[in-house]
Amino acid sequence: MSKKSLVDKEHPPRELELYFGPQHLGMVGNFSITLKVTGDRISEAIANPGYLHRGFEKLMEYRTWIQNFPMVCRINVVEPDSMEMVYAMAVEKLAGIEVPQRAHYVRSIYLELARIGSHLFGLWAYANMLGFDTVAQWAMYHRDLLLDLFEELTGGRVYHIYIWPGGVRRDFPEGFKDKMVSTLHSIGGCVPDYDATFFENRLFYERAKGVGKISQEQAKEMGATGQILRATGMKYDIRKVAPYAAYDKVPWEVPTREEGDAYSRIWVIRDEMIESVHMIFKLLDAMPEGEVYHRIPNPFKWNIPKGEAYVRVESSRGELGLYLVSNSEDKPYRVHFRTPSYPHGLTVLEKALKNASIADVGNIMISLYVVAPEIDR
Amino acid sequence: MNRSLKEKLEATFSDIKVAAPEDDRMVITTRKDAVLSVLNFLKTGGYQHLGLVSCVDWIEDNEFELVYILSAYLQDNYEYSIKEKTNIILKTRISRENPQFMTIIPVFANAEPYERELHELFGIHFEGHPRQIPLLLERDYSIPPFRKDFDTREYVKEVFDNIPVVEEKKK
Repeated sequence: MSKKSLVDKEHPPRELELYFGPQHLGMVGNFSITLKVTGDRISEAIANPGYLHRGFEKLMEYRTWIQNFPMVCRINVVEPDSMEMVYAMAVEKLAGIEVPQRAHYVRSIYLELARIGSHLFGLWAYANMLGFDTVAQWAMYHRDLLLDLFEELTGGRVYHIYIWPGGVRRDFPEGFKDKMVSTLHSIGGCVPDYDATFFENRLFYERAKGVGKISQEQAKEMGATGQILRATGMKYDIRKVAPYAAYDKVPWEVPTREEGDAYSRIWVIRDEMIESVHMIFKLLDAMPEGEVYHRIPNPFKWNIPKGEAYVRVESSRGELGLYLVSNSEDKPYRVHFRTPSYPHGLTVLEKALKNASIADVGNIMISLYVVAPEIDR
Repeated sequence: MNRSLKEKLEATFSDIKVAAPEDDRMVITTRKDAVLSVLNFLKTGGYQHLGLVSCVDWIEDNEFELVYILSAYLQDNYEYSIKEKTNIILKTRISRENPQFMTIIPVFANAEPYERELHELFGIHFEGHPRQIPLLLERDYSIPPFRKDFDTREYVKEVFDNIPVVEEKKK
């Protein structure tokens, strides 16, 4: 065997450009990153969004207030429900529509169900990326159980269009509450299994600890919200900061972690799912009887007075905002969504990938919880 | 709290309009050359979270309205105050003929992708922006596509109706 070292000291590795995505095994969704790498180290990362740009915000200017509902939910494929919520809230604010008490509770329960479903999907993506196929299959199965619930409630599995200006489209059908409780119990009963196989697994710890670390100062500088901020110890959650629906009606906690790395972000997501299940049970107990819908004017002749509104909700990925302008017409004048993945995927990701290794790209990106359609809109 | 901020703003800056239509919302309208200093003032006042940079095309007034939405991060973890609940909407108008404005990246670094998007979709040039390159679109448009005079339907008709039909060859 020759004694020549594999590392050629006379010719150090030069900088290469590496295209990561949109077709790549480590990439979720249609998104790509151009990496400048020297050896295994990333010296610069450039995010390339746009593969899913459908110009929704422009298209919405051509459609009436109600016609826009099928459009808004397609902005975030994984969790369309908070999109419906933010749009309905903005329309209600502009038009001055009140929502009945019971509808607030129904909305909160529905949004929490969607949050759990979205987190399970995120867990699927993350576990799959790390090679925990079993956990990924469980998460997908449990998400499917929730989709069954959505199908019974709204008729649709993925896109529901359930929240409506003035309330929700229909009340819970008979027996739905019991079914929901038993589904949530059966998912909750698997938490020890999830913990034993994944969350408390040494492999997960070794692979995620210290990866993609973001300090609180950096997170604030880059406009981060959601898990990224909560994993650095700040209890910033729009459901607490500016409560909407029925989130101020029951007590609940905002789970946080201190370290700000991928490991703590995934733990925050796990704790949030459990908190959401508890919250649903509390909301079900506190839910009043009554109407779930206040009639709105005829949607075909509905002109909303001139004005502007900015509303925020906490989607499963962070702060979701909507800037909506009306020019006293039957259509919106300007729509602009502030989606959580936008700063996370464009600003935070580029920064977090600097000096990381190529093997950690998927790890960092999925733990930042970036969902591409939300960036492109 | 909002009232004191309003008074402070009005005392510090001339030619500024501050309205607080609701407890949790404040709308500030200002001249375009005062934007950076107002943003700086608000940032030092604790409104560190730039949520959104947006633009509205008021074609009838022949102006673009730039909109900056700010809110505050939590000061401590045990109390949620009205300050964090408040959204500050800072607005300014620039001419539509010569859509130029200065970048706010020196104050809020995370404005970079937002301004890049506005440059692409509205054709506003941000002075001092480090990379005004396309973000979302793949084609070049004669009118930036999010302006009001860009008609999506007309564009689709023009582009896709003129693609020649493939005729099936008979054997």
